[in-house]
Amino acid sequence: MGYGRFLLKRGVQGVGVVWGVVTVVFVLRFITPGSPIDTVAPLDASQETRQRIAEELGLDQPLYVQYLDYLAELLQGNMGYSYISSIPASVQVFQKLPATLELAVAASLVAVALSIPLGVISATRRHEPADYAATSFSLLGISTPNFWLGIMLVLVFAVELNVFPTSGRAYGFGQTLAAITGPEPFFTVATAWLASLFLPAITLGTYFTALITRLVRSGMLDELSQGYVRATRAKGLPETLVRYKHVLRNTLVPVVTVLGLQLGTLIGGAVITEAVFAWPGLGTEIIRAINARDWPILQGSLIVIGCGFVLLNIAVDALYAYLDPRVVAE
Amino acid sequence: MSDTAAAGESRGAPAGHPDDVLRVRDLSTRFFTEEGQVNAVESVSFTVRDGEIFGIVGESGSGKSVTALSLIDLVDSPGRVTGGEVWYRDADLAEEFRDRLPDAVDGEFVDTRRLPKGVRRALRGPAFSMVFQDPMSSLNPSVTVGEQIAEAVEVQRRATANPRRTRSRTQGYGMGKLIADTLLPNRGFTSESSMNRAIELLEQVGIPDPAERAHEYPHQFSGGMLQRAMIAQALAGEPDVLIADEPTTALDVTIQAQILNLLRDLQEQAGTSVVMITHDLGVIARMCNRVGVMYAGQIVERGTLSDVFETPVHPYTQGLLGSIPDLDDPAPRLQPIEGNVPSLLDEEMGGRCFFADRCPKAMTDCLQPISEYDADPGSDEHTARCVLAEREFSEADALPPDHFDRNEEVRGDE
Amino acid sequence: MKIGPISISPRTIRNLRKEFRSSGLARIGVVLVVLVLLAAVFAPLIAPHNPRTQTLDQAQLPPLGFTDTEQQTRSEMVNGSIETVTENVTVNATTTYPLGTNSLGQDMLSRAIYGARTSLLVGFFGTVLAALLGVTVGLTAGYYRGRVDDLLMRTADVSLAFPSLVLAIALIGLFSRFQADVAYRITDPLVSTGFAGWFRELVGLPTPMPETVVLPTVVILVVGFVNWVWFARIARGEALSIREEEYVKAARALGGSDARIVFRHVLPNAITPILVLATIQVAAIILLESALSFLGFSGTTLSWGFDIAQGRDYLSSSWWIATVPGLAIVLSVIGINLVGDWLRDALDPGIEGEGGL
Repeated sequence: MGYGRFLLKRGVQGVGVVWGVVTVVFVLRFITPGSPIDTVAPLDASQETRQRIAEELGLDQPLYVQYLDYLAELLQGNMGYSYISSIPASVQVFQKLPATLELAVAASLVAVALSIPLGVISATRRHEPADYAATSFSLLGISTPNFWLGIMLVLVFAVELNVFPTSGRAYGFGQTLAAITGPEPFFTVATAWLASLFLPAITLGTYFTALITRLVRSGMLDELSQGYVRATRAKGLPETLVRYKHVLRNTLVPVVTVLGLQLGTLIGGAVITEAVFAWPGLGTEIIRAINARDWPILQGSLIVIGCGFVLLNIAVDALYAYLDPRVVAE
Repeated sequence: MSDTAAAGESRGAPAGHPDDVLRVRDLSTRFFTEEGQVNAVESVSFTVRDGEIFGIVGESGSGKSVTALSLIDLVDSPGRVTGGEVWYRDADLAEEFRDRLPDAVDGEFVDTRRLPKGVRRALRGPAFSMVFQDPMSSLNPSVTVGEQIAEAVEVQRRATANPRRTRSRTQGYGMGKLIADTLLPNRGFTSESSMNRAIELLEQVGIPDPAERAHEYPHQFSGGMLQRAMIAQALAGEPDVLIADEPTTALDVTIQAQILNLLRDLQEQAGTSVVMITHDLGVIARMCNRVGVMYAGQIVERGTLSDVFETPVHPYTQGLLGSIPDLDDPAPRLQPIEGNVPSLLDEEMGGRCFFADRCPKAMTDCLQPISEYDADPGSDEHTARCVLAEREFSEADALPPDHFDRNEEVRGDE
Repeated sequence: MKIGPISISPRTIRNLRKEFRSSGLARIGVVLVVLVLLAAVFAPLIAPHNPRTQTLDQAQLPPLGFTDTEQQTRSEMVNGSIETVTENVTVNATTTYPLGTNSLGQDMLSRAIYGARTSLLVGFFGTVLAALLGVTVGLTAGYYRGRVDDLLMRTADVSLAFPSLVLAIALIGLFSRFQADVAYRITDPLVSTGFAGWFRELVGLPTPMPETVVLPTVVILVVGFVNWVWFARIARGEALSIREEEYVKAARALGGSDARIVFRHVLPNAITPILVLATIQVAAIILLESALSFLGFSGTTLSWGFDIAQGRDYLSSSWWIATVPGLAIVLSVIGINLVGDWLRDALDPGIEGEGGL
């Protein structure tokens, strides 16, 4: 099987999962007690008004018609309207998405940049102080609730030392880029952007740094005991190449898979990190939507997150197949 | 000459045959495990000559594979080479270190054990290389076979391109370059010319369509083909000494003969010396010029093939030879040696002949450490770690059959 | 050793012992877990105060070893006119409240001890629920393979596509609409039998303890439902390989029913990785529960996450209110993770990196 066919197969499976995600969200609306009419209609609405709203929302139709309508609307990018602001849910969700993506990407960068060297050092200097330090850090990292870590970081760096802002998002990535040519001084904008991003990114990234460090360490120890490592050394290859070209590359294959599965954790972590830092992203929006019972926004967010997860996992599979040719062969 | 007693006073390489390329003296390797110290290799001495095949034969657990790994400094933790010398003949290398490390140089010989770690590492490839038992687990499953061979070629080329060859190897390839190579698919440690050389090598070891097969992964090869590729990889550095550790054990019987023929043909063409490690006396008889028999971490008897096979002195060698079925006379001559291979745990070994507890001719003399004796006055090659090389067996001195049962705890529970 | 249908081989026990002896971390883990477990079970006996009792005049006391400066404003008659005077007052810690008090004057230590109950209740029952669901699905998928497997595992993929925290708050948000009370109260047997009162009288702590324990049922249901996927994946993988074993084939050839074969042969042999995963999942679910109660979705106020949310508002004046419950979470989760590492290293089920927040 070629690489292209492999990706195509994954893509088709992905479409299936997206359909499942969309259906689950539709079903959630129906196990929700109470009618959406209650949320939309004024308290003193007459029976006629309620009837009219039901017709407008299509709630008088049979369930399968509603489901098909819902799918048709979704295909056109329509996810309903916010009960609160009447803004289309898609608009509201996609407005909030960049802030969350920025946070998630920053956290992932922190995690990858720190964890792979830490894991490698830990595995290659097993039972040395560096290994103990790295394993202690990773144990602590996977055992600390990130919202609490965020609060402690705020306590130290914002409240006591006053070097970072306690909360909020000063500028977005796009705004920062725009400042290169814009009227605002770029340096000030960039500093403020980074300063407001710093603590949230560390908060969200720590768990993943710790997790990947553990995975890389144990994977690399496993891989170092394989026979080919000795054979690769026997042919005189420099240790750098043995470790990184051969061992680390093979270690990263299972690590990449686990990370794909943990993307949900990353997004879940982003939600709560946003809550701690009042970060104006999708997470804050979801919590607001639940508290305000703004179901279309919640549904829209769930669909966007679910589809994002599926897309990223296809990307992960593609990377996996690139790293390990045996995957495509199977 | 290579008595253990001589080790303390020795300076320089042991005396030997003028054709020697390798002289090993009192090599010892220990494993420091949770169960205790394991003496995997115990004072092993032997020599290897230009263009010969030297065989090391022994049961599994006798320390022959660890001996091979100790030669090229590839013993992994918790193991460590704890003593001994590995004198390797290389005039250039000797010149380079004559002033800096006078202890490590003697004539054209250098003691690789005394060289800095980086230099020892750099000897792998052009000086020593190794063919492992199981080709499937000895090649990286996610790198193409050709690429892996090309790496070995490249190592050799980079070493010889630079006159200060011993140090050039580990330098000139840092993290930065590695990251660039990983991210850009068209770059790599290996060059096109080393890949072409890899294809040549694959052809040389008899792989059909080498240009295509070079781009395949190990799982796409059969066991025999992969072992050929492994041999090609070992030859890439044009080594002086090729160590073959059970190169046919993991293969089908029909393939075994092909691989052995290939090894011998290549060895005759290139004049490489081969250290052939095997448990198979048939392989030894067929391939080797001289042979050492290992038992419990020691070479208990060594000499030319005919010395060892025709006039064995050590009862262990005699037992081993007795345990191979004779094709001409398939009568029940198969007599396995009674008892088990010792655990090699330091605390359980004691200062005696390690074979005494299984030996049909054990005597009171065997209860002290045994050195290597000259086994045959006519040949200065044939030695044995056995008192029988010096004296006749006498019933009067024989140990009672239950001697070791009484004096030692039974340790056969594992 | 035999526990129900699970038999533990002597070799397993030997490995566990060996790993326990050689690993200091395993011992630390067991000690931490035992401590948290004791605190949770015997909370009404050992908590120095009733965790719900408010003592407003003792609010925001610092933990032992720390002092706190607080600005106090009072009115004073100065030269016949009333003036407000602001002055800094040093607040000292007292041994009555060794870990300080929160903004309502509740004892932080007692709240931390009672918080262990909520965390462990949710962690244990949530894991049991997730395991029951996931193992059933996974064994079915792995044993029957084919279409059943495809259907169930695609469902698992869909479930994975929702981050567990997001799915959990969405589900709780939905549940809370038709059941205002998202938690049940059950009577605390130690208190209702009078044993706690008698014991506290004996040791000189005559404070009455809360009569009931809050069982956050909705949270348990939700975390169980959200985390089943990890168990399904493991159980499926085990079932796929075990069904090819000779003894399973033999049982099938003898005409055993599928259910019997799965329970007698497949499940017992798949139990090791499931147990190791369950240990790690308890830690993950405790973290999830704390996040839910931090966001105000838990249904009980006696929870570490809830206390952290409270303390967050007093970060600049009373840092310990958020710090103490956080440390309690970290210590318990470290303990459980260390026990999980110990089991994994000793039993080697090969499930590195499965499961998560």
